[in-house]
Amino acid sequence: MISGRALLSRSAPLLACLGLLGIWQVAALIINTDSFPTALEAIRAIPSILGDKESLINILASLRRMAIGFGVAVVVSIPLGLMMGRSRAVASFFNPLLMVTYPVPKAALMPIIMLWLGVGDIAKMLVIFLGVSLPVIYHSFQGAKAVEEKMLWSGAAMGLSAAQRMIRIVLPAALPEILTGCRTGLVLALITMVTSEMIARQSGAGNILFNALDMGQYDTVYAMIIIIGAMGIGLDAGFERIRGRLVKWSEPSFDIPLSFA
Amino acid sequence: MKVLPSRSDAAAEFAPARKQAIAMIEIDRVSQVFRTSGRQDHLALSEISLTIADGAFVSVLGPSGCGKSTLLYIVGGFVSPTGGVARMKGKAITGPGPDRGPVFQEFALFPWKSVLGNVMYGPRQQGVKSAEAEAQSRALIEMVGLKGFEHFYPKELSGGMKQRVALARTLAYHPAVLLMDEPFGALDAHTRTRLQNDLLNIWERDRKTVLFVTHSVEEAVFLSDKVVVMTRSPGRIKQVVDIDLPRPRRRAELLLDPHYQKYVVDIERMIDDTSEDELRP
Repeated sequence: MISGRALLSRSAPLLACLGLLGIWQVAALIINTDSFPTALEAIRAIPSILGDKESLINILASLRRMAIGFGVAVVVSIPLGLMMGRSRAVASFFNPLLMVTYPVPKAALMPIIMLWLGVGDIAKMLVIFLGVSLPVIYHSFQGAKAVEEKMLWSGAAMGLSAAQRMIRIVLPAALPEILTGCRTGLVLALITMVTSEMIARQSGAGNILFNALDMGQYDTVYAMIIIIGAMGIGLDAGFERIRGRLVKWSEPSFDIPLSFA
Repeated sequence: MKVLPSRSDAAAEFAPARKQAIAMIEIDRVSQVFRTSGRQDHLALSEISLTIADGAFVSVLGPSGCGKSTLLYIVGGFVSPTGGVARMKGKAITGPGPDRGPVFQEFALFPWKSVLGNVMYGPRQQGVKSAEAEAQSRALIEMVGLKGFEHFYPKELSGGMKQRVALARTLAYHPAVLLMDEPFGALDAHTRTRLQNDLLNIWERDRKTVLFVTHSVEEAVFLSDKVVVMTRSPGRIKQVVDIDLPRPRRRAELLLDPHYQKYVVDIERMIDDTSEDELRP
């Protein structure tokens, strides 16, 4: 038997979503203009998008680019961030570089990248890669820097070499922080994915959205926003579930639910 | 490099009577200068020389900032001295190694490993088979009084329990020397007393060489064969006091023993003198 309070806290995210849709519905009814369909109209347009083979191929192409961009970024950024966190020389070399690139909106680089690499997959994956890298590098760096010196000494006394200490002590000790960076990176991957498709229209979820906007099919526009939003929530929830399992050892016993996981 | 006449381990094993006479650790005119942000460099240790016999329990006692922990880090090989040399069994110490096992005030456990995982870490690193390492580790965990907590994570343990795990983890890879850096400094008085008793019981069983850093006079006298009293700024050895109290030691008996009390009072006076020195220009 689940208590009322537990039931409430478990269904809270769902209630919040329903509330938001309710406000949307009411607002759209009051404003009553073509370019702002009601929530129900938008939701009604979802099945026709998801039922269409071409749309599905587009969305899957987006997800594939996102997965590759995200995956490569994580694989490159974690070792780099960890090395920056443990070596002053590496940090002072890369830090200025990152500080310069951090505030640049990655989508703003899209036109330049398109000039070099064309409008295909590579250019978009590169933008996603850039968007994801920075938070992952930054959090890996912070995580590695915070590793207790005495923990590394304990490992050294057991006979772990410098490389082993990096992989077997710094990496697991920094993992909670690294995964926080990856979570931010995942959301940024979704955002850069859509914006890259907005600029280089060829295929993808963003392409469907902006083509519909051009043609004034507002219910499709809003339906796509819901779909992209749902993808974000789903990815985040899935990631949180994995993260929770990996860093069970570091989590406080009571936690405010921040996701649907 | 000067090669010292080697003292083979075999000789030590076949001559148990001479065990006390063999130097396990030699600290030879060790100095440590720290570069500070200010103009003046800070001389933390000045020409410290100390010999620790095999199987001896030696405490280094002094006010905070006297460099006693630095001395332990140098023996551990975690810090290189700016002058002089520290040797282990006649060989210059150039880095950390499993022959010297540290136990830190901060515990420094691996938080992503369970109690068992922490204790097994050293033996596994040394190439001990998993099943064997686990059996040994379980026995050690029981010895430090944590049977039943094998699968707990460090965050689920109290400070005293964490330090018991840290001790078991270090004992697990059989270091010849235990380096204890204010190990009970972060614990409350009651826990501290219990851990002192348990440490003494464990130590009296296998008589490992111990270098123990503390700022508690009672703790140093209670545990040690020898107490090294240090002065501050620069860290120098003021006096080495042999603690001639019978073993096995029992806390309740010792506290009533006038010899014990005299050691404590004498050493406290030494430290007070040290502080007076500092007040002089």
